[in-house]
Amino acid sequence: MAKKRKHSEADAASQKKEEVAPERPKRTLLGWKGKKDDQVKESDSTTVFRNKEKVLVTCSRRINYRYRHLMLNVVDLLPHCKKDNKVESKSSKGATLNELVELKSCSSCLFFECRKGKDLYMWMAKSPNGPSVKFLVNAVHTMEELKLTGNHLKGSRPLLTFSSNFDKDPHWKLLKEMITQIFGTPKEHRKSKPYHDHVFVFSIVDDHIWFRNYQISVPHNESDKIARGGLDKMTLIEVGPRFCLNPIKIFAGSFGGPTLYENPFYISPNQIRSMQKKKKAGTFVKKVKAKTRRKIHELENPLEQDEFAEMWKE
Amino acid sequence: MAVSKKESMLVNEDGMEEESDMGDDLSDSELEQESDEEGDVELTEPSKNAIYNKDGLLDKLGDMSWPENAKWVDKLTVDIEQEQPVDVNDDLTRELAFYTQALNGTRMAFEKLQSMGLPFLRPEDYYAEMVKSDSHMEKNQKLKERAKQKKESIESVKKWRKQRQQSGFAGGDKGSELDSAFEDGKPFEKSSNKRTGVAPGDRTGGKAKYAGKGKKPKKREIKDTKFGYGGRKGSKKQNVAETTNDLRGFNKEDGFSRNKKKMM
Repeated sequence: MAKKRKHSEADAASQKKEEVAPERPKRTLLGWKGKKDDQVKESDSTTVFRNKEKVLVTCSRRINYRYRHLMLNVVDLLPHCKKDNKVESKSSKGATLNELVELKSCSSCLFFECRKGKDLYMWMAKSPNGPSVKFLVNAVHTMEELKLTGNHLKGSRPLLTFSSNFDKDPHWKLLKEMITQIFGTPKEHRKSKPYHDHVFVFSIVDDHIWFRNYQISVPHNESDKIARGGLDKMTLIEVGPRFCLNPIKIFAGSFGGPTLYENPFYISPNQIRSMQKKKKAGTFVKKVKAKTRRKIHELENPLEQDEFAEMWKE
Repeated sequence: MAVSKKESMLVNEDGMEEESDMGDDLSDSELEQESDEEGDVELTEPSKNAIYNKDGLLDKLGDMSWPENAKWVDKLTVDIEQEQPVDVNDDLTRELAFYTQALNGTRMAFEKLQSMGLPFLRPEDYYAEMVKSDSHMEKNQKLKERAKQKKESIESVKKWRKQRQQSGFAGGDKGSELDSAFEDGKPFEKSSNKRTGVAPGDRTGGKAKYAGKGKKPKKREIKDTKFGYGGRKGSKKQNVAETTNDLRGFNKEDGFSRNKKKMM
């Protein structure tokens, strides 16, 4: 540590010196180097873009096994992610999560929050100052389900397909960008593999984002060493997991900040449940009411005496 | 976290409003309520006070997005036009839409990759760790085989039956009956009448339900005290002089409505 600190100090010192000293053209063997060349070099260095995305994946305490498996599947799909311990979901979880993300030197976070053991919320956040989104997760199927028969390399970079309605509204645009950054595996990541054998589907249907993961199987020509098969014979086999994201809110900061978007159609699952319960309760109340009404009706208009009523009585 | 608290407050308020609405409905007209119950619990109208800061969203998008010089190889994204709006509740068409999106997307992506001259298909001799374990895939394979076997066996039986029919065998029409039962998918279901050849009131030789424990379950006991247990039912259902002219228990509209339902 000490050495490092020294180094950094020296660096800082040199920076200060540079600030003070006027810039001088660098010297080469043949003479002074032209300034123009230098500028070109700088622009070259900026053109090389390197994606250094790292995603922290965690969940809240008391998470359902099914949702935990979903999280583990997501971990399997993203070779550029780091899994961490469960986080207590309190009101102050935003701050702790931000700290955690920084500690792990990640640039984004996927946080699976389970409430009441049945509702799953997913937070998708860009860490230092990017936006964060809260989704409600529906229709979860994990990879372990046997009807999903595909399989693919662990860590191969996925192709991301988006339906065209992602470009319709600004909030969908933002979500698309976030998804490409978080779900796309960085090029030449050390854990990634060089081939593409699966494809992610992100599609907006009914204002929800649906996720699917397919294996790409192309018939191979054994003689063809470079392995370029016929694209027409290509088939896809689903690998899983499946889930459906319902965006609730978009915040400007990571895990907090001013709200940029609010889903106007969203009702929380708690509300839905309470409404359903109320309806159920209503049926009994209605029955009782109907009975009392009937009684009142009978009392108000009594039947006229039947002349044969006494016929069978002795 | 102030925001989440605020949010929960909002939710609470909304809930309160809806509660009061529901109460009004009940008192106003019950018929309307009944018709409402069929539908899902969903807001058909968007709430008006929802925040939508378009400029802020676009600003944030500009802040977070990658620099212009990021190549397509970094992103690997493909946009696919959806031909028609997809019905969410129709599983088959929905999945088909996703499948076609994926298929078209991969085709486009592969063409691009091919034009770049990058290797993109996994060679046959490239072995590496897969997402699903071998044991899992084995299970999968077994399941597939079993399904296939079952299908084959059913088909063979069908074929054999058809042949028999064509040959003019006497039991042909019987075979067709059986066939339909097969197609139901419940060929070996138990018949609903448990004991044949026994008088309906006879309880002798019945199944000893609680024989092992010697004690009824608590729920059963409670129900027995409530509804009674044992004895003949016939005498309870017969009319006596007092009840012959008593039509209170008879519902005039019931039969009518039932007929109506049938007509529908």
